[in-house]
Amino acid sequence: MVPILIGVTFLTFMLFNLFGGDPAVRFAGKHATAEQVQVIRAELGLDRSLPEQYLFFVKQIATFDYGRSWASKQLISTMITDGLGATLSLTAPAFFASIAFCIGLALFAVYGRGTMLDRGTVVVCLGLLSISSLVYILGLQYILAFKGGFFPISGWDPSWVDRWGYLVLPWIILFVLSLGPNILIYRTVIMDEAFQDYVRTARAKGLAERHVYAKHILKNAMIPIITVIVIEMPFLITGSVLIENFFGIPGLGGTLIKALNDSDFPTIKAFTVISAMTYMVFNLLADVLYSLVDPRVKLS
Amino acid sequence: MSRNNSTVQNATVDSKFRPRSQSATFLQVLLAGAVAVALAVTGCTKKRFDENDNSLNLVLRANVKGLDPASANDLYSSTVINQMYEGLLAYNYLKRPFTLQPALAEAMPEISKDGLTYTFKIKKGVKFHDNAAFPDGKGREVTAQDFVYSWKRLADPRNTSEGFWIFDGKIKGLNEWATAVKNEKANYDTPVEGLQTPDSHTLVVKLTGVYHQLAYVLAMPFASVVAREAVDKYGKEFLNNPVGTGPFVLEKPSDWVRNSKITLKKNPTYRPDTYPSEGMPGDAEKGLLADAGKQLPLVDKLVFSEIVEDQPRWQNGLKGNFDWVEIPKDNFDNAVSKEDRSKIVPDLAAKGLSLDITPALDVTYIGFNMVDPVLGKNKLLRQAMSKAFDSKTYIEKFLNGRGIAAQGPVPPGIDSYDEAFKNPNVAFSLEEAKALLAKAGFPEGKGLPEFQYEGLADSTARQGAEFFVQAMASIGVKVKINSNTWPQFQEKIKAQKAQIFGIAWGADYPDAQNFLQLFYSKNKTPGPNDTSFNSPEFDKAYEASLKLPPGAERTKLYQKMRDIVADETPWIFNAHRLGYKLVHGWVGNFKWTEVANDYPKYIRIDAKKRAELGNKL
Repeated sequence: MVPILIGVTFLTFMLFNLFGGDPAVRFAGKHATAEQVQVIRAELGLDRSLPEQYLFFVKQIATFDYGRSWASKQLISTMITDGLGATLSLTAPAFFASIAFCIGLALFAVYGRGTMLDRGTVVVCLGLLSISSLVYILGLQYILAFKGGFFPISGWDPSWVDRWGYLVLPWIILFVLSLGPNILIYRTVIMDEAFQDYVRTARAKGLAERHVYAKHILKNAMIPIITVIVIEMPFLITGSVLIENFFGIPGLGGTLIKALNDSDFPTIKAFTVISAMTYMVFNLLADVLYSLVDPRVKLS
Repeated sequence: MSRNNSTVQNATVDSKFRPRSQSATFLQVLLAGAVAVALAVTGCTKKRFDENDNSLNLVLRANVKGLDPASANDLYSSTVINQMYEGLLAYNYLKRPFTLQPALAEAMPEISKDGLTYTFKIKKGVKFHDNAAFPDGKGREVTAQDFVYSWKRLADPRNTSEGFWIFDGKIKGLNEWATAVKNEKANYDTPVEGLQTPDSHTLVVKLTGVYHQLAYVLAMPFASVVAREAVDKYGKEFLNNPVGTGPFVLEKPSDWVRNSKITLKKNPTYRPDTYPSEGMPGDAEKGLLADAGKQLPLVDKLVFSEIVEDQPRWQNGLKGNFDWVEIPKDNFDNAVSKEDRSKIVPDLAAKGLSLDITPALDVTYIGFNMVDPVLGKNKLLRQAMSKAFDSKTYIEKFLNGRGIAAQGPVPPGIDSYDEAFKNPNVAFSLEEAKALLAKAGFPEGKGLPEFQYEGLADSTARQGAEFFVQAMASIGVKVKINSNTWPQFQEKIKAQKAQIFGIAWGADYPDAQNFLQLFYSKNKTPGPNDTSFNSPEFDKAYEASLKLPPGAERTKLYQKMRDIVADETPWIFNAHRLGYKLVHGWVGNFKWTEVANDYPKYIRIDAKKRAELGNKL
C-alpha cells in the first residue's frame, strides 16, 4: 500500500506543478502587484524548492494534517468532515438500494431470459443509459419538484432528522441513473454463470430452481459483482457533483471541483490521498469478501 | 457451441417458471412505497409562507468562502460580510450617481489643504456584536484604535489579504510596518506614522501622496472595523466567527451551513441608523421614501442560500423562496417579453412580479498582449481586428441583448461616461476592417501568424471564443482557441504568455479611475494592466488625474485617456452588461446597486402579502 500511496502522491504533486497554474497569482487578487504576488508565494510556501515542497506534502500525509485551504482559508479536515456526512446521506442509500434492486432484477432477467421481461429489461436499460444524466436531473426536478410540488426544488438541512426530505428526489434520480449500467453488467455476469456445467449438474440432481439460482449461480457470480461494486465504491465518497450542485447538497463532490478550479493544492492533496486510501481499503475489503463467498480464494 | 444450445434449452424449460405476476407486484409495491415515503417526508401540503415571517430570503450564485473582511475578495463573501461589518463610510442607498455618506464616521472626513491628511471623527456609542470574545459577553464600544488594528491586518503578510491593495504604498509607514512584521521586528502595538489616534474617537490618516479614491476604498468591506479581542480569541477561525458592528449578526457558528445557507438575525444592539429621507426624482412616486427616518434594518432575519446552478436558483425564485432572482440566460425568453425587452411576460406580471434592469458597472473585452512582437507593435492590425468584431451581434447572441456595446472602458453609471461618445474602432465594418488590415501590411491576413486566443473551458466562454474566431476569419486572420482553467488562464495573462484573451472587469468603486488604471504602465501585468499597455501620453494624463478631485477638469482628463485607448486599441471593447432581476410583489424599497452590498437593511418585506401571493405560486 505504501508504494502505491507514494506513487499517487508523487504523480499528483508533479501534475499540479506542471499544469495547475500559479496559485499565488490566483490568490493575490486582481489588483496585486509583482511584489504582492511574491509575498503570497512565500506565505504559501511556493518559493521553496520542489523537493522541499514534496517533503512537506509527505509530512502532511503522515500526520493527517493538511492545514487550511488556500482558496477559502477554511480547515481542510472540517471541510471534509462537513461534506462527508452530506455526501454519504446522498449516495449511500441510493447506492445500496440500487445494488440490491439491480441484482434482483438481473436475476429475474436471466431467469426469464429470452422472454419479454428479459428483452424489455435490456431495451429499457439501454434507453436509460443513452440519455444524459442532465436530462433526468433537469426533467425530474422540473416535473416533480417545480411543477408537481412533491419535493423541495433544492435545499439542505444539517439536522440528521430533517435532511431526508431534501434527499428523496436526488435518491430517486441517482437510483434511476444507476439502473442502466448496473442491471446490464449484473445480467451479463449472472448469465455467464447460468450456463456453466456445474449449474446443469445441480439441475440434474433435481435441485429446485430457486436453490440453483440462490446457492449456485448468484454465489459464483458474486466475485465479479463484488469487483464491480468495489470499483464503484469511491463514488460514495466523491459523490455526484451534478446532483449536489442542482439540489444544493453541500457534499464533497462540489468541494473537490471547486478545489480543482481554484488550484487549491492543499485541498486537492487531501482528496487525492483520501481517494487513494479509500481505493486501497475497498480493494482489501473486496479480497476479504472474495474469500467469504468463494472458499477457493484464500487470503495470504 | 454447447453454451448456445443450453441457452435455447433453458429458455424453453424456464419460461414456465417466469414470475411475471410476482415481479409486477414487487415493482408496484416498491413504486407505491417510494411515492408514499416521498409525500410523507416532504409534507407537500404545508403552507410555505407565514404572514408573521418578516425575513428576507436571498440567493447567491456561488459559495461563501469565509466571513473575515480581510479576505472579502469575492462578491458573494463580501455581500454577506457587509451585513455584519461596517466601515467609516458607505453609499447612500437612493442617490445616483453613487454618493458616499458617513457610516461609522461621525461626518465626512476633514481633509487638509494639501490633500495628504484625513481626519475622521468616529461615532460614539457604536458597539460590537455581543460575543464571548468580550469579557462579559457584551460587545464593547468601537474606537479609533480598532480601525488602526483592522487596517494593519490587511497589511500583515501572514494574513495573505487580497485587500491590501487599497492601502498599498498609500499610508505613511504602513508598508514599512508590514515588512517589519514579516521580519518579526514589529507587532500590532508598533505605531504607524500614517495611522494616528489623538483620542479614542479620532483617527488621523496621513498619506504618502494625494489619494482621492481613499474615500471610496473606505466604503469597501476590506476596510471594515473588526474587534481585536475576537481575532485573538478565534485566531484562524475568526473567519467563521464574525464580530462586527453591522445591522445583522451571526448568532451562532452553526447558523452558517457551509456551501448551503447562512442565517443572520437582526442585531439587537445596532447603532441608530435610519432609512434615507431624500432620494432621486421619482423615488417618492415609487414608494422608495415611505420608510424615511425609520430605524434600520427593516427585516428581522436575513437568509442567504447558496445555489451554484441556474435552474434550481430560478425555479426557487419563481416559487417565491427567494424575494428576487436574476433571470438566467436560458430562461430569458420565457420571462421577458419578446416585443418589449423592458417588460416581463403577462403570466409573471399577473403573479405580482416586476422587472428590474440595472447596469452591472462592468466591461467585457478582448485584450491584446501589447508586448507581443506582432500585435503590440501594429495599431492598424488591432484596429482592423476590432472593426471585424461585431459586439452588437455578440450581445444579442450571448447575452440575450442584455448589454450595451462598449465604446470605451468606462461603463454607464460612472462619472465621465459619455453616452454620445462613439469609438470609430468599435463600429463594425468588414470593408473598413479589410482595408485597415491591408494598410497594416497584411492584406487578407497574408503574412500573419496564427494567433492564440486564451479563454476559459466552460461552454459559454468557448462559444464566445468561437464567435471571435469566426469574426477574425472573415477578414483572413487565423486564430486558435486554447481553453484553460481559471488559474491557468490567470497565470498565462500575468506571465505575459497570453497573446489574445477574453475577460471582464467589474467596478470596485464608482470612479472611472478604477477602469483607467487598467492601462497605466506602472500597473502592467502581473498588476491589473493585463495587456501591459504602455503610453507615456496616457500615463501623464493618468498621473495628473490622480491629483485632481472630482470635477470637470478631472473628467476632461478621463475622457482624454479614453480617447487614447480608443485609438490605440489594446482592447476590443465588447459589452457593458445589464442585470435583469425579477422582484416579487411583497418586496418594498427595492433599488438595486452594484457597488454597495449593504442593501438588505433597507428592504421591507410585506409578510402578509407574501403569504397571500407566495402560497399560490
